[in-house]
Amino acid sequence: MFTARDVMTRNFHTLSPDSSVAEAGGAFMKAGEEEQRRIFGMMVTDAEGKLVGMMSMYDILLFIRPKHIQVWGMMDDIDISGLMEEACSRAKSVLVGDIMTTEVITVSPDTAVMVILDLMVKKHIRRVPVVNGEKIEGMVYISDLFHRLVDMLVP
Amino acid sequence: MSSPVKKPALGGLTVREAMRMQVVGFPGSSSIDTGVRSLIKHKINALLIRDSDESALGVVSKTDVMGAYYASLPIESPLEQIMISPPLFCGPDDSLESALHVMRSRKVYRLYVSGDSSGKAVGILAYPDIVGLLYGYCRSCEQSIVNRRALKLTDDGSLRFRVKEVMTPAVTSFSEDDSLLEIMEGLSVNRFGAVLITDGAGTPSGVISKTDLILAYKHGISADVPARTIVTRAPVRSCDQEDFIEDAIRTMIFSEVHRLFVHRGNPANIVGVFSLSDAARVRSGSCHACVGSRIRIEGPVSS
Repeated sequence: MFTARDVMTRNFHTLSPDSSVAEAGGAFMKAGEEEQRRIFGMMVTDAEGKLVGMMSMYDILLFIRPKHIQVWGMMDDIDISGLMEEACSRAKSVLVGDIMTTEVITVSPDTAVMVILDLMVKKHIRRVPVVNGEKIEGMVYISDLFHRLVDMLVP
Repeated sequence: MSSPVKKPALGGLTVREAMRMQVVGFPGSSSIDTGVRSLIKHKINALLIRDSDESALGVVSKTDVMGAYYASLPIESPLEQIMISPPLFCGPDDSLESALHVMRSRKVYRLYVSGDSSGKAVGILAYPDIVGLLYGYCRSCEQSIVNRRALKLTDDGSLRFRVKEVMTPAVTSFSEDDSLLEIMEGLSVNRFGAVLITDGAGTPSGVISKTDLILAYKHGISADVPARTIVTRAPVRSCDQEDFIEDAIRTMIFSEVHRLFVHRGNPANIVGVFSLSDAARVRSGSCHACVGSRIRIEGPVSS
């Protein structure tokens, strides 16, 4: 059977819940270089290596997004450097554990690929951690899954 | 002489025009820890507590979370243990005037909006929403500072409100050596959202807000530690008392703060606080041209 084990990457990086959001930003960039792909989400693990959450690009963008955007909507002279300065100063005191998503959907190495595909479509998720009990085995990215399946479509 | 201001009277505005539709709610059994994460992530100041059929049961604000920190409540405690009940409601077609009146007389910072008698919240109205809406009107007015500057028109400023006219002319400050417990007491007694922190020489060195305190709670920091442990050593966000309130409001909305400290002459000389709720008192905008024709300005809140 074609399972998570066949499409997951074992080359993954994790974040600590005690890192600041600013440090997480740096970790996204570094992980991207090492994994040779753009990273839009990372697993968050505690000191024992147990999965405690996920931090996505979306969580960071929510953090950067101006709060009163409904007021700014009509304006064309918004000084983005000023907004980024604000976000940067807050990004130092807010930690990954403060904004990460804690309700994480996971699969096991033996979960069928079609089940994962269904999960990704239904739940609008692009990456799923693969765990065996409490041990993290890898991550399935929607792009990898797509490429493996499309390979089979091509005659 | 410029022509009189032509724009619709703000007096006719309803709650619907200022309210936000996204109401963040949790069941009462969720933990305070979960609630704090949501407050930080969504940059909001309160959570609605709902029962299983979505009816509103109560509200947990940053103030209530700070109270839990002060009382050393475990952060895993359920939100229902600290919620204030029942939530206060207004209707989408109520006038902004009446909603503001309820907020002021009941001393709350937000009202939930209910479309019918089901007890479900369809929106939320808080001071930043009202000030933001009014600011939008100011912005589009031909008399606005931004527009006059863009057209390089001169402006003697005599028509405009200055911060000193509407600020709260008092400021509470704490030393870097004071404990978080003392600061929480000060915030609670004065109903402030933030206090000024000063260094050994009495110079303002930072600010501690309720948000900083609930983050400290979440990070497991003991409330006995001195202020210097958590104070962010960023320049204190302040404005001059002679600044136009239009500019000060812009800075607040931009910086996502609910108040600016007000200095006289130089930034070390803090003489007051200008908050979004002060700004909401100048109900029709930031300029006498607008106010004279319509709405009175209320005096400071008597407490």
